[in-house]
Amino acid sequence: MVYFKWIFWIVFWTLIVAFFHYTLPQKDVVRVTGTEIIRKDFSGLSRFFYAQADSGDNEVINRDLRLLNTTRANGRVMVYRNEDTGWSWPPYFKFDSSNIQAEASEHISTRENPRWVIIRHYGWRNPFLSIYPNAIDFRVVDGPEAGKGIPWLNILILSAFSVVTLTIWRLWRRFRSSRIDPIVENVQDGFDAAGDAVADRRSRVKRWLDTWRAKK
Amino acid sequence: MFALARLIVVGFVVLSIVYVALSLYSRSVRRGKLTREWEEERPTDDRDSFVEQGLEDYDGSLRRKLILGVYIAPVCLITLIVYLNNFH
Repeated sequence: MVYFKWIFWIVFWTLIVAFFHYTLPQKDVVRVTGTEIIRKDFSGLSRFFYAQADSGDNEVINRDLRLLNTTRANGRVMVYRNEDTGWSWPPYFKFDSSNIQAEASEHISTRENPRWVIIRHYGWRNPFLSIYPNAIDFRVVDGPEAGKGIPWLNILILSAFSVVTLTIWRLWRRFRSSRIDPIVENVQDGFDAAGDAVADRRSRVKRWLDTWRAKK
Repeated sequence: MFALARLIVVGFVVLSIVYVALSLYSRSVRRGKLTREWEEERPTDDRDSFVEQGLEDYDGSLRRKLILGVYIAPVCLITLIVYLNNFH
């Protein structure tokens, strides 16, 4: 039971951390090497990790997906998708995918003559699931060492979440100590009393049986 | 456009729950304050009529209307996010 409890809470908090890691914005310093559009099928497992059709369109089973090919300062590549989040989750309210694609193609650069940009994005790159982080917006910076700034928004959201969680936890503790614990103690007392009664009854039976045994 | 309709409907329902809960809570806080005030100062003979009168004043007050901010603040926030993420 103790293990069960531990496993439950570890899974629970892992999911919470994963949720925030996926949803909150992060920044990468990259060099855009190209933009492309692929036909993407949305009937598979990875559907969960994609947004929906552009805000003005209808949802169909497969559609084109805008991608940004980039190279990071350490030389490794990263591919971003560029999708409207529209009026749905996560609440970035992004409608300008086409504009971002156009701006990104303006900043395409080569290794010899690099132009660095900071891309703000959310999501994960996972080749096994074929999922890409979604680029929200980007701005041009001087070089690969450019500072990303303090993530005030993330600090604010995570602080608010901590405050709400701690409040719920304290309310629950108070509720439990005032309402549930007395009942549990009551029930336990009841069990103890029942156990005593059974033991008492058994000893009486035993005494009665003893009367049939030969006296020593 | 379905997503926008869904956002508006779900948002309206959730915010209405928050609005009603906050209104009831705020009114009960005000009731407690008025009761305490009456017990300390005894401005009138009848406590209930004093509290009811105070609550009626509260219903017409600006403070009461500030709770409508529950609806206004998220709309402003969404407008700001739309502006910053798409036009900035």
